[in-house]
Amino acid sequence: MSPHRERVAAALADGFRFGGLHATSDGAWVRTLLVAPDGSARLESVPVRDGRAPTIVDLAPAAGWDEREAHDLQGVRFDGHEPLRPLALHDLRLERWTVPVRGRDPYQVAVGPIHAGVIESGHFRFHVVGDRILHLDARLFYKHRGLERAAEGRTLEQGLAYASRACGACTVANGLAYAQACEEALGLEPTRGLARARTLLLELERAWSHLNDVAAICAGVGLAAGTARFLALTERARRLNARLAGHRFLFGSVRVGGSALEVDGRTARAAREELAAVRAESRRAWRELLFNASFQERLPEVGAVPAADAARLGATGPAARAAGLAEDVRSASPRLAYDGFEPAVPERAAGDVQARLEQRGLELEQTFALLDGLLDGALAPAAAERAAPERAVGVGRVESARGATSCVVERSGDVLRRLRLRTGSYANWPVVARAAAGGLLPDFPLVNKSFELCYACADR
Amino acid sequence: MLTLLRDLRRQRRRLALAAPDRGRSLALRHVDAGSCNGCEHELTLASGPHYDLQRFGLGIVASPRHADVLLVTGAVTTRMHEPLLAAYRAMPEPRRVAALGDCALGCGLLGAAAELVGPVEAVLPVDLRIPGCPPTPAEIAEALLRLVDGRL
Repeated sequence: MSPHRERVAAALADGFRFGGLHATSDGAWVRTLLVAPDGSARLESVPVRDGRAPTIVDLAPAAGWDEREAHDLQGVRFDGHEPLRPLALHDLRLERWTVPVRGRDPYQVAVGPIHAGVIESGHFRFHVVGDRILHLDARLFYKHRGLERAAEGRTLEQGLAYASRACGACTVANGLAYAQACEEALGLEPTRGLARARTLLLELERAWSHLNDVAAICAGVGLAAGTARFLALTERARRLNARLAGHRFLFGSVRVGGSALEVDGRTARAAREELAAVRAESRRAWRELLFNASFQERLPEVGAVPAADAARLGATGPAARAAGLAEDVRSASPRLAYDGFEPAVPERAAGDVQARLEQRGLELEQTFALLDGLLDGALAPAAAERAAPERAVGVGRVESARGATSCVVERSGDVLRRLRLRTGSYANWPVVARAAAGGLLPDFPLVNKSFELCYACADR
Repeated sequence: MLTLLRDLRRQRRRLALAAPDRGRSLALRHVDAGSCNGCEHELTLASGPHYDLQRFGLGIVASPRHADVLLVTGAVTTRMHEPLLAAYRAMPEPRRVAALGDCALGCGLLGAAAELVGPVEAVLPVDLRIPGCPPTPAEIAEALLRLVDGRL
């Protein structure tokens, strides 16, 4: 085994988790992000020789997409990763990017990139026998805008737009992961006030996002009443965002090195009251879901991902916790105001649609409680403080509504050399494919909605 | 259920747009050509209970074959160029194209030149422009109502 692979294997054996892998923009180095149980992260680098680097996909299967991406976008080949299927490149024959499926009368159902509802673009190729799904090949990157490449050569300040606009639904999480990465590189630590403002923004994003996810699951079942009630709550949460930060999605609220968020005492009080009302209404609406038998009938054992598979594939966020993996970046976030945070795991952590729905309910309660505390009093603009020596590389990690989102920033002076954003959605897409396998084709929309991943976040 | 309907009616009276008599309707087909997902989330809420576009005769349909209007979000990526054209070609005449959001209009585009074809206008004739980053559900609703009322 190469020394690089030995180092990665030793770290994984010591309890480190794979957190992402990227190639430098010139394709000269491959760096693997490893996350310790206490949340601290480190990068293991290996030089690319003759366009080749050793694979780690056998040690950490979650690195599969990362290595395929590094091949397509930076031209690195990974020795031992066979077949290295394309991820971002599309002009290739079907056999190159789909898994061969043989047997008695299997056929393929192609869906997308344009879907039937108001849904982002992406292509799914289902290998089925009748209605039974044998395997799903998801081909994303239809929305690939080359954001990371476009950010290279810009200043650290300018780079923020590329990270935060990668996804409108996760703009705070992505922007914050970027800001934290820059601040680590610049040797800056947030003050208490800055940590509080940012935690507030992150939880406001989670609140509307989780309410929207519950509405989406109701829509997946076809329960119009549930969809309507939770969409109405989503609207109220977005209006609250606009009142607090001037934008329904909180665009422009995250900055590198500080926060300009200013909320006076009266506005904070009014926001607390509105959140209490949204929480009460969301509990009432939730109770109606619980007592709707035909709705509940559709949920258990659909799209199940066993805990071992979730861990192996690198599931994260509500999808991982619903399978029983009690992991949440918020429980180890010294740069944010999450003191004493404990990840929530449902009693019945079956990793199916029902568990993922229940997980949203548990996390909404946590988020409402956090927001109530964070809005106790006015918020003033705040800045980060110099606390450590400067470095060329910084890493930021944040728990978005879809899971762990990490950002690596490589710089020389004030110029960005590489920006890598690995979002919760990116990590979870291979898990969706696992959840679909063995299930029924007509259940897939519901399974997909129970993850409610962003395509924009993955494609960048 | 009755409580819910009453709540919805009250919400509409309190918060929503005026609903003058409208005798026409438009079927909309949405295509995401490379958005950040912000426009999609606002478009979803435009069909939600606060705005409820359906009551104005504005419905989202599943196929471009059934659509009067192609509602395009995002800057057009190289990979979505062909699917977008295919959706447009599938539509019966008369057909309209609405560009939803600043990216679709070419304002403040982010991305690498090699991965983007450009704003929607670079690819299709645009009849309706709905600016905003993203436009709010109310702005989306008002722009589409101008179209359904023939004030365009």
